[in-house]
Amino acid sequence: MKTGNALRSLLPVLVILALIAAVPLFSPSNRFLSLAISAGTNVIALYGLSVLFGQTGILSMGHAALVGVGAYAAAILARDFGVGFWTALPVAALASAVFAMIVGIPSLRVGGHHFVIMTFAFGQLLAIVLTNGGDYTGAATGLDIAGPVTLFGADMSDLTRYYLMVVAFVTAAAVASWAIIHSSYGRTLRAIRENEKLAASLGINVGRHKIGAFVVSGVFAGISGVLLAYFLGHISPSQFSSFPSIYLALMVMIGGARLIEGPLAGGILVAFLPEVLNLDPVQSRIVYGVCLIAVIMLLPDGLIGGIVRALRVAFSGKPKQEAERDAAPSEARQ
Amino acid sequence: MDIFIQQILNGLSIASVITLIAIGVTLIFGLTGIINFAHGEFLMIGGIVTWLAVSAGLGFPIAVVLAILAVGLMGYILERGLFRFTLERPTNGFIVSLGLIVVLQHVVVLFWNPNQKSIPRPLTTVWEVGGVRIASVRVMVILITIAVVALSFRMITASRYGRALRASVEDRDTAALMGIPVRRYITGVFVLGSALAGLGGALLIALFPITPFTGGTMVMKGFAVALIGGLGNIYGAVAAGLILGIVEGFSAGYGFSQWTDAYSFVLMILVLIVRPHGLFGGTSGPRMAS
Repeated sequence: MKTGNALRSLLPVLVILALIAAVPLFSPSNRFLSLAISAGTNVIALYGLSVLFGQTGILSMGHAALVGVGAYAAAILARDFGVGFWTALPVAALASAVFAMIVGIPSLRVGGHHFVIMTFAFGQLLAIVLTNGGDYTGAATGLDIAGPVTLFGADMSDLTRYYLMVVAFVTAAAVASWAIIHSSYGRTLRAIRENEKLAASLGINVGRHKIGAFVVSGVFAGISGVLLAYFLGHISPSQFSSFPSIYLALMVMIGGARLIEGPLAGGILVAFLPEVLNLDPVQSRIVYGVCLIAVIMLLPDGLIGGIVRALRVAFSGKPKQEAERDAAPSEARQ
Repeated sequence: MDIFIQQILNGLSIASVITLIAIGVTLIFGLTGIINFAHGEFLMIGGIVTWLAVSAGLGFPIAVVLAILAVGLMGYILERGLFRFTLERPTNGFIVSLGLIVVLQHVVVLFWNPNQKSIPRPLTTVWEVGGVRIASVRVMVILITIAVVALSFRMITASRYGRALRASVEDRDTAALMGIPVRRYITGVFVLGSALAGLGGALLIALFPITPFTGGTMVMKGFAVALIGGLGNIYGAVAAGLILGIVEGFSAGYGFSQWTDAYSFVLMILVLIVRPHGLFGGTSGPRMAS
């Protein structure tokens, strides 16, 4: 019963992703595919952020820095060691995880309000270090990464194939994030989110689990960084400074951090909204900002959370509490 | 030695602007627990208002007053319209401020393009004292800041409003029980903090050209200073502002200028690890009635 329920919460995401994977059948434009690929890499990072923010209740303002560590790791590995995409993937994920741990241990120790600022500062520091890194990091211009991505001998550099590969990675990220939410580990994290002191009194090592969640978010970010680096072919420090981090936080909050659909919705919305509304970048940023403020003031669970709740109320008249409990189904039945 | 004095002066003039932000940050956080990241954008808008006023042919002093008024008004509107509703959940206030950063920056870009903006220096005299070149505009910035900070101190330490304010920072609920209109003080602190940021922006554009994105780095330095000094502690903010300004001035003068921006972050991280409540001790935000 329990697994059945849990699986049901994954199903909508899988259906949506299957539909998204079918898009190339309708021969979309290259512009659409590029936008979708960059949205996809963001979504992978967002799933990591949702474990951290949605489940554990810690907000990081340095998530783009973790993505950057992954991207630079991939670029440097390819340049100095001739390492290809598939080997770079785990190494970069590890690098981001280690960086997350290095940042996390001191940052989470100071705790509370200060953590956000610490992550922000570390993100800025990373951008400064990369900019001043001379030839090793390519300074302000950044690094080129030109390696063919092959899978079972097939060249994946073609836009459509890369698109499909990114969709596959997004699916893996969604499933991984779903597995975390429905594991006892996820329950532990939520216990910390809801009441840190109570969790500690139950014998949960709060500090270690918080750092653990940050490290997990780093793994997602590292993988997203590798995909991004190989897709763009060029990376530079400004892509990973604090403002990209703000946009990542914004996406996850617009979508809703607690639900499995949230990161997907946030990433896609933020990538395609300007296209749909035909806005230039400046206008679209203003719209994002206004959206974020509106979502926080009016729909604290994010857009998807708000829609889900509205649907529930409309169809079954269930009260608010019920909807919230169903957002994390396994909790109430334990 | 000449360079030494000059660098201290340069450092202090930048520190002045940073201190003006830090006071606003520290007061707003101390009273409401809201980390207002958009404070740097308030500063930037102060600079833009000054630039607009000077470009329209007004004198610098009038432009400064306009900047203070405009940003103070903006603070009032934002507090009444947005932050008032996030008092129970300061994290939401923080997120709202992130949204505001994005909105304010790009509204400015939309109307007045993203390029650098500068005004002619309001004071062009350069004094030569024993081989040291002292730009009077920097001295002006430092003196104005000292005057404003001294005035704020006086207000906070000696007047009954200041006492009520400190009581509210100490314990919001008890202060409310004592008949202090805490809500009104919160609005007041928002306006005061914003006005100081407006002044900071006006002074900043007198020193350097600014862009719509200047606020981001400046607010981080303001936060670094507020955190190093201990959030909620105004004395700490001023002292930490001095330290940071001098460190930055030296590093710029002795050949590490590309790392200047990194010092505030490194300093802040170190201080938070060793003394999470800042060098001079602060509050950890308002005590929530949770």
